[in-house]
Amino acid sequence: MKRYVGAMLFLGLVVFFPVASLSAENLPIAASDESEGKVLPEGNVSGEETIGKDDDEDPSEADQIGMEAEVAPVKDSLQPFNRAMFFFNDKAFHYFFKPIYKGYNSMIPVQARVSVKNFYSNIRMPVRFFNCLFQANFKGAGTEMLRFVINSTVGVAGFLDPAKSKFHIEKQDRDFGQTLGKYRMKSGTYIVWPFVGPSNTRDTIGFVGDTVLDPITWVSYFFLKPIESVGNYTYESVNGLSVDTGDTYESVTKPAIDPYIALQDAYLQNRLKKIKE
Amino acid sequence: MNKRKVISSIFYGIVLLIGISPSLWAAETPGTLVMTTIDRGLAVLKDPALKGAEKVQARRQRLWVEISPIFNFEEMSKRALGQHWKKRSPEEKKEFIGLFTNILKDAYIGKTDTYSGEKIVFIKEKQDEKDYASVQTKIITNTGAVVLVEYRMLSNAGKWQIYDVVIEGVSLVNNYRSQFNNILMKSPYEELVQKIKGKVGKDEI
Repeated sequence: MKRYVGAMLFLGLVVFFPVASLSAENLPIAASDESEGKVLPEGNVSGEETIGKDDDEDPSEADQIGMEAEVAPVKDSLQPFNRAMFFFNDKAFHYFFKPIYKGYNSMIPVQARVSVKNFYSNIRMPVRFFNCLFQANFKGAGTEMLRFVINSTVGVAGFLDPAKSKFHIEKQDRDFGQTLGKYRMKSGTYIVWPFVGPSNTRDTIGFVGDTVLDPITWVSYFFLKPIESVGNYTYESVNGLSVDTGDTYESVTKPAIDPYIALQDAYLQNRLKKIKE
Repeated sequence: MNKRKVISSIFYGIVLLIGISPSLWAAETPGTLVMTTIDRGLAVLKDPALKGAEKVQARRQRLWVEISPIFNFEEMSKRALGQHWKKRSPEEKKEFIGLFTNILKDAYIGKTDTYSGEKIVFIKEKQDEKDYASVQTKIITNTGAVVLVEYRMLSNAGKWQIYDVVIEGVSLVNNYRSQFNNILMKSPYEELVQKIKGKVGKDEI
């Protein structure tokens, strides 16, 4: 008989030890409950708010436990201006860009559109290369250099992407806003720029930095008339949208109850992920 | 005595086995569960009998039947309302779950209409010692773009269900929580319900 009591105790220990160790890390208050050997899926509720607070540190983990975590207030002091800009961009998307890229889509085969996108992306290599360096990601910088050499030659001036398709060397999407984020610069207030879309103080500075690093800026500055530059940027946007078929924007805003907040939140969450990468 | 020793060691063995491998309790790991569900969903989308614009309703219906059981809509609703959930009465909660389920259904089942052979690849799964798991997958589009999709799952008595979908770092539930919070900061709960009802009515499949 004693033996079985011992076995029950053992069972109790084995089953509840992982629970105890998990909760003990997170919830000092819950410790008393475990000694009684209760499994407490609901019981954790009391501790959730305390855990949720640190979701700046690790949203994925905090979120798993801290479902009732307070949403950190988003700094959006320019909201009236931003909402107006959002409205403007939304209309520009639906009534200007969308009809254009739809027409463009029906004329140009998808492979050609992807090639154009590759071409622009290849020219922009210095942006990614230098940001890799700024982020002390030397491997990434090397990868970008290698990709540039392969794609500019074998890839016919960047129209093809053999570096990825043949050699499986992935593009390193690095930008200056991300670099600043990695150096712990605060994101500042949320801003929506006309045509450019969601941004914040940090990413606006980042955008300016990337523009300086961008060879297309230099070409536009020295060789193109303003109208030609505008045409170039518009064409690039239309082509980019046509490859994406506007999906990213619409899949965020269409199912939303408040599209402005949905886009803002998606932007901020996505940027946070990129800075952590 | 000897016999008793054998019996008791078998007993301990069983206890140990049960104790240290809770995964045995569940029939499938979260990863295989997600992937088999996705495969069944894709089978519906690829089914020649359900192709074409006139079969939209039937296809969406079938797809919903295949994939909806893997979602824990109550948990999603709870998380989307966040701290406001506790203040709601049981009837309000029930109504809200129904409304939120419809929003998600309208938004994401409709998106499958344009399915054109995108591939969905399993990357990895991660399981915490307790009841949480995440399954990472990627969608490879026809233009070669890669979209990372992570399914966050919760085990309820050995049954794994999805409570959040994270696309390129954007959590679906957090996205709705930001929206709901923002509305509830300025207006009463009833107005939020009205807004959701207006939305659900508008995009009715």
